[in-house]
Amino acid sequence: METDADAGTVQVKGLRKRFGSVTALDGLSFTLTPGQVTGFVGPNGAGKSTTLRIVLGLDAADDGEALIGGRPYRALSTPLQEVGALLDAGAVHPSRRGRDHLLWLAHSHRIPVRRVDEVLEQVGLASASRRRAGGYSLGMRQRLGIAAALLGDPPVLLLDEPVNGLDPEGIRWIRGFLKSLAREGRTVLVSSHLMSELEDSADHLVVIGRGRVIADTGVRELLAAASGDRVALRTSARTEAMTLLAAAGATVAATDRDALTVSGVNAEKVVQLLAGAGVPFSEVSAHRATLEEAYMELTGDALEFAAPPVTGTEAS
Amino acid sequence: MTTTQTPPAPPNPPVAPYRSTVVPPGRDGFPQLLRAEWTKLRTVRRWNLTLLGAVLLTILISLFAASSGKVETSGEKRGPAPTGPGGIQILDSFRYVHRSLPGDGTLTVRVDRLVGQGETRLSGWAKAGLLLKKSTAQGAPYAAVMVTPGHGVRFQHDFVHDTAGSEGDGVATARWLRLVRDGTRITGYESADGSGWQRVGSADVPGLDGTVQAGLFVTSPMVTRMERSFGAVSVDSRPARATAEFGQVAVSGTQGDWRHTGVGGRLPAGAGESEGAGTSTGTGGAFTVTGSGDIAPAVQDMDLGATSLSGTQLGLVLIAALGALFVTAEYRRGMIRTTFAASPRRGRVLVAKAAVVGAVTFVAGLVASVVSFVIGQPMLRANGHKPPQFAELHFTDGPVLRAVAGSGVLLALIAVLALGLGALLRRTAPAIATVVVLFVAPLVLVSILPLGLSRFLQQVTPVAGFAIQETRTRYGHVDSLCLPEDGCYPQGPWLGLGMLALYVAVVLALAVWRVRRRDV
Repeated sequence: METDADAGTVQVKGLRKRFGSVTALDGLSFTLTPGQVTGFVGPNGAGKSTTLRIVLGLDAADDGEALIGGRPYRALSTPLQEVGALLDAGAVHPSRRGRDHLLWLAHSHRIPVRRVDEVLEQVGLASASRRRAGGYSLGMRQRLGIAAALLGDPPVLLLDEPVNGLDPEGIRWIRGFLKSLAREGRTVLVSSHLMSELEDSADHLVVIGRGRVIADTGVRELLAAASGDRVALRTSARTEAMTLLAAAGATVAATDRDALTVSGVNAEKVVQLLAGAGVPFSEVSAHRATLEEAYMELTGDALEFAAPPVTGTEAS
Repeated sequence: MTTTQTPPAPPNPPVAPYRSTVVPPGRDGFPQLLRAEWTKLRTVRRWNLTLLGAVLLTILISLFAASSGKVETSGEKRGPAPTGPGGIQILDSFRYVHRSLPGDGTLTVRVDRLVGQGETRLSGWAKAGLLLKKSTAQGAPYAAVMVTPGHGVRFQHDFVHDTAGSEGDGVATARWLRLVRDGTRITGYESADGSGWQRVGSADVPGLDGTVQAGLFVTSPMVTRMERSFGAVSVDSRPARATAEFGQVAVSGTQGDWRHTGVGGRLPAGAGESEGAGTSTGTGGAFTVTGSGDIAPAVQDMDLGATSLSGTQLGLVLIAALGALFVTAEYRRGMIRTTFAASPRRGRVLVAKAAVVGAVTFVAGLVASVVSFVIGQPMLRANGHKPPQFAELHFTDGPVLRAVAGSGVLLALIAVLALGLGALLRRTAPAIATVVVLFVAPLVLVSILPLGLSRFLQQVTPVAGFAIQETRTRYGHVDSLCLPEDGCYPQGPWLGLGMLALYVAVVLALAVWRVRRRDV
């Protein structure tokens, strides 16, 4: 039986998986805890979907294990009520009506039919529920897939690329929705190959590349680390500024004719130095990295060196 | 919708894990699986149409088969076909040398010779021996002990009952026979020398009460020669006459003179050698008797029951398509992952699928075969397939019920076979193609390949299942052609269906084994 400490957690421990000569997962480990939206990020082919399939007991790992609340998925007696998963929004028979797709899932667990209408309402698909799924837009299929994941009202939700195909309104909706699910104490994993999709919704990030975890960190820590102490500087006297700052120990890169990026010294120091030497400047700002930039930095390294560089701090 | 400007709450473990208050604890037991799969099946309209199409196609082809063959009865009309006890159609023609036997008694005889007359070789089932019969009318109850050229000594009564005695060496040496009547209990004996007697068989024949006829008989069935090549069959049946020499005739309890009767000897004019006609000479201790005909249940070449169910052979293609699609459609779109994530015990999922698709196709097959039979039989009769040449089949006859219900089982098994193949191959077209090759190819081949190979195919391929559609009763003591093109399966209905069931069990077991191990 699951212990209270394990309740609602997803533990991935040292997963390895090869497909022929391709190593898809190379010792992947992370833990998901309740109450957080975790972004599961990596370039296409990094192993996100393979990981989710192994967690759901669909693929067998060559080594390592994945536990839901301390138990392997295949040992769950009512999986839909413990883990809700969206793997592929297209995985619906096109001739079946949206509602019927949820109906067979509900019947497989003796979930009351009213719950079907409930989740349809929740994802905003109630009006289209009696249409054939083949006529759905990708966004509607995503909503149907999310409804299926919610059907058993599970404490753990694993959603593979749920934002894909949603319209702007849908994206805004799902961000808020995911956060509200986490606030209820659920464990929510959202995978994406676009970090920007997760910018406003994820609390925590697991970044993988080439089957390994590159970063397992809180979003804030990651942003802070990626931003570093870089300063954006706009000046008409580029050469003087570069010489002066380099002499002060900073690393300076020219990004435009009159723009520089300075790292190694903070904004305050830059202003001090420039003002002291009488070098004209029009703008100094502490650079704030976007999640996308932080991610590119991480995965870029991963692709070049195929080794996890030191990033962020250990989250919780 | 929720606004998103508030910064994400810092992860503050331990957060109380979510507990559902909305959904009561469920179950994912086997009944739930069955219900889920049933919901899947009924909610795809295309599959409902496929099923309906299979039913309609089966009926249509069956009725086409029933309406296409015409039989013209030439010559004089015969009277009602002779029927024996129990109402079955029979042959009852032989030469009879007999006396009355009012009470108990014993007949003993030595059969010295049994030979054919003319050029025609004797059938293995030519018969010569002792016979008790209620009267000389065709179909009257009887019991007899006899020698045959091909099947040793036999004890037979009331047409369908047959007990083998010693194999002996055919009719090469003389053989003693004895028939004892004790009330309605008749017992046959044989002996090599007339002193040591062995019991062959015994039966209580209720019809043989009061005064009966007792005596010697000889009969010889038609000799059939068949030539068969690439679908063309020529069957040549000729009457044969057999002559037996009887010696040491000893009777007790009989009355009156020996009478010589050709039982069933009256045939329409010009019908060639008359059956049952024959000659007999002799008195007292020795007789020479020549006879032609047979004492046996009538065997029909054409199986009217199977003919009116022949649409199954095409209906199976749509049924197989449904069976395969029920699993391959899920593989095609990745829905199988949803299925196996909801029910990780994959073997059970496959078994539930098999049960649902099997049950649904059984009902569909049953509807199709009931309608085909009920409409097809009157059509066949209207085309001349009627008594006396063809026995009328009734829906409640045992063999008919077996064939009609069996057709439903047959289609259900084919659907499950296709489902298993679909789970193994994971793609629709190869799964359906495999079923078609397994069934339709043998069905075509058996009518053009040499007989031995055809019969082999009928027994070892899944086509064997079609044996269940046979409504003819086959008897071990009657020669029949049993041609594949007549829908005759040498192994009989249950063994045939069993062979198909074996295929299904093996394929489904393989599929379960494979699906449980393979990544999806």
